[in-house]
Amino acid sequence: MAKLSTLAEAVASISCEAHVALSGFAITRCTMAFAREVIRQGIRGLTVSQCVGAMDADMLAGAGAVERIVYGGGSLDRFGRLNCVNRGIEEGTLVAEEYSSLSMAFRYLAGSLGLPFIPIRSLRGSDVLRRLQEVASSEIGHVDDPFTGDDWLVLKPLVPDVAVVQVQAADEDGNAWILGPRWDNEEQVKASKRAIVITERLVPTEAIRRAPERTVIPGFRVSHVVHLPFAAHPTSVYRAYDYDADHIRQYANASKTPEGFLKYLDEYVYGVKNHWDYLELVGGMKHLTDLTADPILGY
Amino acid sequence: MAAGLEYTSFELMAVAGARELKDGEIVAVGLGLPVIASFLAKRTHAPSLTMLFELGVVDPEPIHTGVGLADPRVWYRAKILSSFVDMLGTVLHKGLVDVGFLGGLETDAYGNLNTTLLGDPKGKFRHFVGSGGANDIASCACRTIIIIRHEARKLNEAVSFVTSPGYLRGDGDREAAGLRGGPSRVITDKAIFDFDPESKRMRLVSIHPGATLEDVLANLAFQPIVPGDPPATEPPTAEQIRLIREEIDPEGMYAG
Repeated sequence: MAKLSTLAEAVASISCEAHVALSGFAITRCTMAFAREVIRQGIRGLTVSQCVGAMDADMLAGAGAVERIVYGGGSLDRFGRLNCVNRGIEEGTLVAEEYSSLSMAFRYLAGSLGLPFIPIRSLRGSDVLRRLQEVASSEIGHVDDPFTGDDWLVLKPLVPDVAVVQVQAADEDGNAWILGPRWDNEEQVKASKRAIVITERLVPTEAIRRAPERTVIPGFRVSHVVHLPFAAHPTSVYRAYDYDADHIRQYANASKTPEGFLKYLDEYVYGVKNHWDYLELVGGMKHLTDLTADPILGY
Repeated sequence: MAAGLEYTSFELMAVAGARELKDGEIVAVGLGLPVIASFLAKRTHAPSLTMLFELGVVDPEPIHTGVGLADPRVWYRAKILSSFVDMLGTVLHKGLVDVGFLGGLETDAYGNLNTTLLGDPKGKFRHFVGSGGANDIASCACRTIIIIRHEARKLNEAVSFVTSPGYLRGDGDREAAGLRGGPSRVITDKAIFDFDPESKRMRLVSIHPGATLEDVLANLAFQPIVPGDPPATEPPTAEQIRLIREEIDPEGMYAG
């Protein structure tokens, strides 16, 4: 089956109540075009996971698409809090299973290796663990080390239904490069049952074959490849484009209230037909060219 | 201030942070003061220090101000760009991180840190960033250094939520929870503290030039251990200030 899809086709493959792992980290390589399309298609009841909560999860949570977030805490860096996620937690409308960066990464790692559980030194003694024992007791346990007898905290693997990953380059089969730090993305994809790759550039398989050591995501794990430039806007993609500071500031401000956030959605999500309309609305070719990364700096 | 040398409390704190770092150590840093402290140590007494950022960035040399770890400005000229499992797993979890710098909404008499929420965890509260890598660093680093503003609302007898464990309730409580290491220093804009070896309660080490003991205690919501007559914090040298202003942070990127 051909994997090359439109964004709408790839999003339509996601069922309500699916567990979706997202590649964003605060304000970089967030799956923003994907989030906007999920909202437009009215998909709801999702479980969303990522090591560090990011703008993609925040927008989905604010739009009511997310029932449960499994994450390690997060923010929009100096632009502010994840207002929608935080509001959901404060008001009890969003189920939050809050870990640390490493405990999330280990849960994906265990999922990627097919392990039954993974021991970890983190979380012990903290209220993070105490809270998890209340809201996610089935995900946490203890075992005795069979070699030393030591007691270990163990975590259940995460096996998302689908990982959605924003990358710089991929071929039609989904073999993909992630340039720059990869945070949890490699383990996320390999833990998940399948992956949707959203790529800035579509490259021929010959380009993949000429630099195979760069392949982070293997095509055989990928169900859909979506070729969509500036799909992470307003967040950054290393070596492709910078974050749009003014737009993120606008989002951070609008999302301070539910009313402000809904107005933002009306304008930038519901008010546009598709990603191309969105790119025109946020400033078009000139603005996007200004955001394009310097090849030496990478931003 | 000695010999008429002028410096900000941020610079004094950065110098105090640098003094805590030894050559050859591996340091887990966040943005801001820890970066200045680490670069300063690297350029003076600790040239072979290694700096790592949790998302997979080792020894970057930024030339532009970043808004956070997610900003590629912060990754510029790094030696390694990898992943959480690589940084927080194969380095931190394995026990190779000597020092971690941590900050937060509030800390307490035993060096526990809260970055999660303010208010009543069971009732009305305001939720903030949560852990990120902070709990991992607090749990797995050989020692941690806490950087925090010296205000009564940020220095409490007990924090409202332990995101990152210090000595928990003191006196063996941390070890009983199965944790090694723990906070070794707290650096505020008025003083430096360590922790009593037995009770693990915060203990005054030195008071910054310009601050008084009354000043230090009046802006704390708990009583730290105050041994005798605490000395003044060693002020920065002219060379340290020159390095910070002219070489490490000429744009004033971090001093905010």
